[in-house]
Amino acid sequence: MNLSKQIIALTAICVITLGSSAFAAKGRDAWVMNFDGDWNVAGGLPEKAMLVSLQGLTNRDAPQFYIVHPPDFQWEITEPLYDFYKRKHDVKFTEVKTADEAFSLFKKHAKGYVVWDKTVGASLNVAFTIAGLQDAVVVSEELIPLVKKYGLKQIDDLRGRYTGKTDAEIYQDSYDRYWDQCIRDAVMVMGGHRGRTMQPAMADWGIQRKMYFHDLSANPIHPEELSQIKRLYEQMEPGSFVFGWHPYGKDTEEQSTTLLSAYGFKMEGLHNLPNLSFNSQFFFTEGFKFTNNHGVDRHAKIEAEEKVYISFVQSDSIGIGVWTKPGRGKLPFGWQVTMNWSKFSPAALEYFHESATPNDYFIGGLSGPGYMYPNHIPAERFPLLMGEAKEMMSLLDEHVMEIMDNSAADGNVGNTDLTKETVDRYYENFPDVIGFINGYGPARTRDLRDTRPMISYDYYIDPKRPRDGVTDDLNELISLNAKRPYFLLVHVRESNDVNSLVEVTKNLNGPVEIVPVDKFLKLAASNKTYTTRYQDPDEPKHFEGY
Amino acid sequence: MKNTPFKRMIMVGLAVLALGATASANPEIVGDWQLDMDRSSALDGWQDMRLVISTQDTRVDIRHEMRWRATRYRATNTVDTTKSVASDNFFRVEQRHMAVYPTKGGVTHTTAEWIDNNRTLRTETHTPVEISQGDVIMRITSEYRIGEGGKTLTVIELHSSRSRPLVYFFRKVEEEVSS
Repeated sequence: MNLSKQIIALTAICVITLGSSAFAAKGRDAWVMNFDGDWNVAGGLPEKAMLVSLQGLTNRDAPQFYIVHPPDFQWEITEPLYDFYKRKHDVKFTEVKTADEAFSLFKKHAKGYVVWDKTVGASLNVAFTIAGLQDAVVVSEELIPLVKKYGLKQIDDLRGRYTGKTDAEIYQDSYDRYWDQCIRDAVMVMGGHRGRTMQPAMADWGIQRKMYFHDLSANPIHPEELSQIKRLYEQMEPGSFVFGWHPYGKDTEEQSTTLLSAYGFKMEGLHNLPNLSFNSQFFFTEGFKFTNNHGVDRHAKIEAEEKVYISFVQSDSIGIGVWTKPGRGKLPFGWQVTMNWSKFSPAALEYFHESATPNDYFIGGLSGPGYMYPNHIPAERFPLLMGEAKEMMSLLDEHVMEIMDNSAADGNVGNTDLTKETVDRYYENFPDVIGFINGYGPARTRDLRDTRPMISYDYYIDPKRPRDGVTDDLNELISLNAKRPYFLLVHVRESNDVNSLVEVTKNLNGPVEIVPVDKFLKLAASNKTYTTRYQDPDEPKHFEGY
Repeated sequence: MKNTPFKRMIMVGLAVLALGATASANPEIVGDWQLDMDRSSALDGWQDMRLVISTQDTRVDIRHEMRWRATRYRATNTVDTTKSVASDNFFRVEQRHMAVYPTKGGVTHTTAEWIDNNRTLRTETHTPVEISQGDVIMRITSEYRIGEGGKTLTVIELHSSRSRPLVYFFRKVEEEVSS
């Protein structure tokens, strides 16, 4: 190798090394701010919205600004993840105590400000869209002096522009002005809480990526808003992401998810999922590899005994709920992983794996590479989407796929079944899984093909249900399903705690064994005491679809 | 066959029993009854329940008015103290987070009687339910106990598959008097 070739080779190595270390973002300075829980429009929301918009702009260049939320915030992992960044990524955080201080540090990332109208909630979403496109922070009028102090110029002022207008009219105007400039592979449904309280903690991500923000309704009783969503979706790229969450009180989760699924899009929520603009810029630590706590080998053959097998699963994403509460590890538990966090929040997934006990087992979901309702996914999109899901399951060492289709359900009750066509597609597209589980509330889609069972939840634990009621319910199911073995799959709603379930399991009748969900499915494959069943077209649907 | 005094006593006794069983409904059960959530077994998958009970001779119609979020649901079970009643749409205040569903096309049979000096309507129901292992029959024994003064109603529901009964306490909804 001559000198010039050596120089080229060395340069290439340096570039690769620098590039990968930048991607891994190891050993860097960053700033952290602690939020309180006040998201009232008349209270803490305006300042938080401003800071979150500043966060989105600041983190465009590099991960610099992280926000820790109080322990009772829906996403309970912000503090554990903050510790993880310090410990595993060598991030040296400096606390930012005030908005003033934040601007003194990060004002250079903003070119100006846009004023939203506190009397018109939708104007905040229009302001977020403008913020992303024009590098602005969003402010309500009382915050104007603060941003002016740092030399920011007014880019737009929405006060009065939308007074008296409907949401459909406001978003039509926003569409006319800004849609052409927004990215087309993602959109931000900044819905969720509305009215006196709003929680747009995910806005940093949308601003960073220049998304179009809205909280349009997917409810057919709002045809003008619904048609606007369809118009957006029709112009978006195949396989796009819909971030955020549906607007409470205008439409339902079922309607919103049914609609985006019909376009083959992937939902990632919630509207208050914080810090993606920061989290997305870290990768897994060097040498880290996902290793799941498999209870059974993928190709093992095991035989069920004459007993009741129970398996507990928590979906709803593991970033909220039981994970950080005491008691985890006392029972075998399946955890549905938000697989797309391998792209948007790798450190969070690594944190979960690092802190997993031997009783914690991770499964893929929800329905595919994002939250979607498979009964409505176009047939031609299904293999592509599930190909993405399989890749992520392979990365995350997951052997079980969780499916949920609430399109016909009424919240967590009602019809949550899969059509036979949908079941056929899963069997065709996932030849290597141990099996499938289905539902959210209870469901009755069941099958067994070769060694892969599909089992639906027989029980959903409402966190508010008294524990003696839960015990009696489970015992009733055990009594009614008198054949042995009986395979009782239980969905644990996010805010349950494991300690209370330990007490429940002590009072169950009969020979009962609590098993991890992979072993549960293997056992279910060995002795089919359950019926084969799919969605019955005659069964009532709470929402008939579009 | 001799008609002895002992046999006459037996016949009279049976007639009295039969009369009791076929007696018309206690009118105090008629009316609207609102669930007292705090005192009752927790509803599961429902957020509110009201019973609207009406009678005609030996027949009792028990209408359930249920609420779950924005969903309103009404269903009426009819019983008769003189005969078994068959129904293809029997309503069970089911625990809706359990995979226990009415069997499609299943027929439910219910018998009823007034007991405790007509203070309690007791019903016994055999209803087919679909579970993950197929279809089975659930037996439900219910008692509708009218409280003293007719202002309260206690419904005790025991399933053949459940060791502890579900107990629902209701208060009578007084008719609104227009001023």
